[in-house]
Amino acid sequence: MTANPAPSISIDSLTLAYPGKTVLDTVSLDIPRGKITVLAGPNGCGKSTLLRAIRRLHRPVSGRVMLEDIGVADLSEKALARHIGLLAQNPSAPEDMTVEELVRLGRYPHQTMLQRWDSQDTRALEAAMAGTGVTSLRDRPLGSLSGGQVQRVWIAMVLAQETEIVCLDEPVNHLDLAHQLDCLDLVRQLNAEFGRTVVLVLHDLNLAARYADQLVFMRDGGVAAYGTPDDLMTQDLIARVFNVDAMIITDPAYGRPLCLPLRTC
Amino acid sequence: MTVPRARSARQSFAVTIAGLSALLITAMLVSVTVGYRLYGLDQLYHAVFAFDGSETATVLVNLRLPRAILAPMVGAGLGVAGVLVQTLSRNRIASPDTLGLNAGASLAVVLASATLGITSLTGLSLVAALGALLTSMLVFAIAAGAGGISPIRIVLIGVTIAGLGQSVVQLILTSNEAQMQNLLFWLAGSFVDRPMALAINGLPFIAAGAAIAFALVRPLDALQADDATAVSLGVPVSLVRIGCFLAISLLSGAAVAMAGPVSFVGLVVPHAARRLAGQRHGPLMLAAALIGAIYTTLADVLARFVIYPVEAPVGAVTAVVGGLVLVLLLRGRAA
Repeated sequence: MTANPAPSISIDSLTLAYPGKTVLDTVSLDIPRGKITVLAGPNGCGKSTLLRAIRRLHRPVSGRVMLEDIGVADLSEKALARHIGLLAQNPSAPEDMTVEELVRLGRYPHQTMLQRWDSQDTRALEAAMAGTGVTSLRDRPLGSLSGGQVQRVWIAMVLAQETEIVCLDEPVNHLDLAHQLDCLDLVRQLNAEFGRTVVLVLHDLNLAARYADQLVFMRDGGVAAYGTPDDLMTQDLIARVFNVDAMIITDPAYGRPLCLPLRTC
Repeated sequence: MTVPRARSARQSFAVTIAGLSALLITAMLVSVTVGYRLYGLDQLYHAVFAFDGSETATVLVNLRLPRAILAPMVGAGLGVAGVLVQTLSRNRIASPDTLGLNAGASLAVVLASATLGITSLTGLSLVAALGALLTSMLVFAIAAGAGGISPIRIVLIGVTIAGLGQSVVQLILTSNEAQMQNLLFWLAGSFVDRPMALAINGLPFIAAGAAIAFALVRPLDALQADDATAVSLGVPVSLVRIGCFLAISLLSGAAVAMAGPVSFVGLVVPHAARRLAGQRHGPLMLAAALIGAIYTTLADVLARFVIYPVEAPVGAVTAVVGGLVLVLLLRGRAA
């Protein structure tokens, strides 16, 4: 085996609470560089919270998130925004905002009061729109686009941010099957072509198994198991994490493990 | 391929701004010369640069000129404040009225007049500014309570305070009708008989509000998106909201002190400005300032004629015209 490069993100005994409720309990996890890590688990297991904690949208009670040797807690708002991009769950923007106006927002952390929009910003903006195939829509208001198109535009905005790490919180929610595949193929393309480290929260176990390099099962505010989809997609683990009796088969098209849920247990 | 496109967009926007500026200067000249009596530009020139104490010169310099300067200041302030309120509250039907500042100013004026007997315009404008300031602090204090300043809380609290203020104003007005008669005109907003000192005193506040607003251009762009997105872009959301709130208070506080409550400008102008300038706050607020200035200046001219020879309150004109314009804008959007 080749030596693993240093992980992109190390989560070190992270505990996070809302008033009166512990959501993450001493979670430790490494996010490998240049790979797609998918967080999966039943509702309320803390997977979205973990993603938001990586991006410092919540302050931990204890523990820390490290980007190589820098603590996420020690970075300024804008510096952090140049390292980690986040596509929030159900993001929103005014309907009359144009595609280009939204994608431009991704350049915010690269600008200061004195340093205005420059050729570097223009290059990143164009690359992000081209990479997601929304260039031809640039002057269209968001309200005139389909759900799948809007999601591509949001991904373009995060891409324009030019962060080495991209977090996406349930990006395929509310999308039909074709657009789910379209969106996740786009994410994989960003990972492969632009070398971004991707952390995804996904609900659909089979999509998770298909797109993940590293799969993380979460349950009750902790990491139940992590590893390759082949390691994790076992009858035992799925029963333990999701309370579902399932048959695991190998999908004939892609050779990935496929979960056939039978009944709750 | 993309560079000429950006340049042409910038060029066409520069043409728009130049056109609006020319329109504003024209509107201001019309405001000085057209009214109950008509004057020529030569008379204006003489009155300003060779003041001879004649009646014409006195009317031009003391009555017409102040309102031709106050009206665009108020309109520009309300136009920019309107954009800020709509971005702050993420609500396209919000306006400075929504935050209750005008109602607070009206209440302060009515109370001061009823209890302290203040009737001078200077006194009233000072009281109005204080009322607006206190109201904005009150709304901010309640909205900034638990869990930061949420856009929906700002609107809910503002509307509540506005309703409360207006009810009390009505109560005092009806219980004290004879004494309050002279306030009715103030309460509808007007530029009649305003001294130039009002413009000079108001200028620093309008300038400070505009300076804060334009310093916040880029974070405001990002705040059009949801909070999670704005935060993950590195926007200091709470700080920007505080700055935004401060700018709104300065701009609409100064506006209500100078003219009384002028309604609808802060609502309709941002919509018109978006049509011309798009959603980015730099061009948007610049266009809103110019359109607000033109709109208010022309409304003030129109107010001299709608119930000629008596002057109508400018607030009534901005509301009627603004309502019609808004309906047209919304119809155009649906089509």
